[in-house]
Amino acid sequence: MRPTDYMRLAFRNIRRQKLRSSLTVFAVVIGATSVTIMLALVTGAKGFFLDQVEANGMLQQVAISAKTDISDFSDASHGYGGNCADCIKLTDAIVDKVKIVPHVTDVARITNDGMLEAITYGSKKLSLEQTTAYDANGILTNNVLAGRDIEAGDKDGVITMTSDYADKFGFKDKYDQLIGKEVRLQTRNFYTGVGADVQPPPQCNGPCKPQEQEQKPTILTAKIVGIVDTSNSSKTIRVPLEWMRGMQQFRQYQMTEADQKLQQESCRNAHGPCNPTQHYTLLVKDMLAENGYGSLIAKVDNSKNAAAAATEIRKLGVGAADAQESIKQQLTIFNILGLVLGGIGGIALAVAAIGVVNTMVMAILERTREIGVMRAVGAKRSAVRTLFTLEASMLGFIGGVIGVAAGFGLTRVANIFVNKQLASQNVHAHDIIGLPIWLILAVIGIATLIGMLAGLYPAARAAKLDPVEALRYE
Amino acid sequence: MNSLIELRNVTKTYHLGDETLKALDNVSFTVNPGEFIAITGPSGSGKSTLANIIGGLDHPDSGSVVVDGNELAHTRDNKLSNYRNHNIGFVFQSFNLQGTNTALENVMLPLVFSHMKNKERKIRAEECLKAVGLADRLMHKPSQLSGGQRQRVAIARALAVNPKIIIADEPTGNLDSARGGEIMKLLSGLNKQGITLLVITHDMNIARTAHRIVDIRDGKIMERRG
Ligand SMILES: Nc1ncnc2c1ncn2[C@@H]1O[C@H](COP(=O)(O)OP(=O)(O)OP(=O)(O)O)[C@@H](O)[C@H]1O
Ligand SMILES: [Mg+2]
Repeated sequence: MRPTDYMRLAFRNIRRQKLRSSLTVFAVVIGATSVTIMLALVTGAKGFFLDQVEANGMLQQVAISAKTDISDFSDASHGYGGNCADCIKLTDAIVDKVKIVPHVTDVARITNDGMLEAITYGSKKLSLEQTTAYDANGILTNNVLAGRDIEAGDKDGVITMTSDYADKFGFKDKYDQLIGKEVRLQTRNFYTGVGADVQPPPQCNGPCKPQEQEQKPTILTAKIVGIVDTSNSSKTIRVPLEWMRGMQQFRQYQMTEADQKLQQESCRNAHGPCNPTQHYTLLVKDMLAENGYGSLIAKVDNSKNAAAAATEIRKLGVGAADAQESIKQQLTIFNILGLVLGGIGGIALAVAAIGVVNTMVMAILERTREIGVMRAVGAKRSAVRTLFTLEASMLGFIGGVIGVAAGFGLTRVANIFVNKQLASQNVHAHDIIGLPIWLILAVIGIATLIGMLAGLYPAARAAKLDPVEALRYE
Repeated sequence: MNSLIELRNVTKTYHLGDETLKALDNVSFTVNPGEFIAITGPSGSGKSTLANIIGGLDHPDSGSVVVDGNELAHTRDNKLSNYRNHNIGFVFQSFNLQGTNTALENVMLPLVFSHMKNKERKIRAEECLKAVGLADRLMHKPSQLSGGQRQRVAIARALAVNPKIIIADEPTGNLDSARGGEIMKLLSGLNKQGITLLVITHDMNIARTAHRIVDIRDGKIMERRG
């Protein structure tokens, strides 16, 4: 028997009992439609999530940290670096090396610091938890609510702040009014960065050693140029990276060799006891250059290359992670949801399968004599089995096709409502409930498979029929 | 002359509860190629059982059945199906046509199982229907045909694969004597063309037209010349 003959015969038989076949197919349609809709919703939500991730550029980023034992993007990108003795520091030398890694288009250097303790506007003083600074090269961006973000040309004395601070200063819903206002930033003790009034140790007479003197907090002034939302971080003020470099400078008066010579010289011509004048020189250390940045974010040309670039960057001896891993974890939530919802639709399909079994058992009872005739004229048992299995598969297939079509129609309708919802929330996305080709094929395939499985038992019964009995069947 | 059909000590027993019923009791029986044999006997004597075993639809419990060199007694389904398809044409009392199919499609059915191409099947089926005098009824459904015409479609179907043997189990049982006579004429005409013919019948007028009458009583053969 040729495959086309099987198809032809099976299809004929289905058409023979139009009402019964239609009802059976209808049950499959309901199952297939619900599976389609459930999975379309989940894949739509997943796709939407991925689009958002793609849009904020995270997938095109590789986070780099000094610690090599990081695997997670957010773990690597927090900007505090890590204190480990034998780590390779994220210095500008490393930055230059990262920049020439294939697929890397640019690098943002990040450093966070807790040396600013409080921010005061007018008479209101708020404590500061985190000050951040990073290259304003477009890799890390903020949603600006008022004013502007930090830009590449910005110098010392310029900040942006997150909206939660602006709210606390009493500018909720009127962030514009904060732009251009001056705030005072109070440093912690020991601050010796730019603006700090660092004094040489006092002159000490007699046998005394120079005492460590305490450095008082410094008050820095800054102009607010922008208010950003809290989607990246909260309670944060951002300063230009170069100002941060200045803030992290370590400045101290120290006695150099030249100073010692000068001191000795001050007593050379003295007769009798002499109190030498102590000379000191202000030494400035660029701690950021010395300790390196807290973390780096490398941007790659395409999200597909992020993993490869991360691997390449790790060869420099630093830690690197792309966002895929942390996104994968979030995607498992969608996958579980897909299983649960798909399973609910699957129950409807399972019920439909019972209908297929019933229809086929009935059909075989009705067609017992016909099966006998087929056997008498030379049909093998296997041919009978194949024919009825195919017939059941066809019921599943037809149900699957119609179900997917119905599901498609319903997702279009659902999209109209979802689009309205998204538009009202200012989200730039539409038609997010998609029906990818794999889903279409999978649902049709599953429906066909379920039909086939449902047909196995009736078909086996048909094949087992004794031809003589079948021909005698009334 | 080599016999076409050769049965040796064929027994077929049915068990109904405690009772055992010998449908065929140690039957030995040969048929030569081209013979026309009438099988007669009272109802329940084992005629159909004998015919079905020769036709490869049924297995004997013991004994050997050789048809055209094929040992059928212990043959597996696949081979037996092929045997039926290539060698045997069945004609039944109740026609056993497929009601939803046309005469042409009914005749094409055996050819579906002999891997013939659809086009060739059609040509062959048309030929056979022409041979039984139904060239103008190709597209008729069984319900649109008379009883005699239906049986002729069944004969055309039996003829389709060009079988060596036609087994007709009371082919005239559902027809009046005039229609029955026509059917028998058709069958004996096929026999004259060389097809071996086994006809089960209660009608002695029909049985007498055969070369030989095989009478069965309680599963045993009482042969006499026709
Ligand atoms: N499947 C079966 N189970 C039990 N007994 C059976 C079965 N098939 C046939 N028989 C018995 O075997 C015997 C022979 O049956 P068979 O059909 O060969 O008779 P027959 O000679 O063709 O009768 P008829 O002229 O009525 O068709 C009968 O007594 C019948 O009851
Ligand atoms: Mg009988």
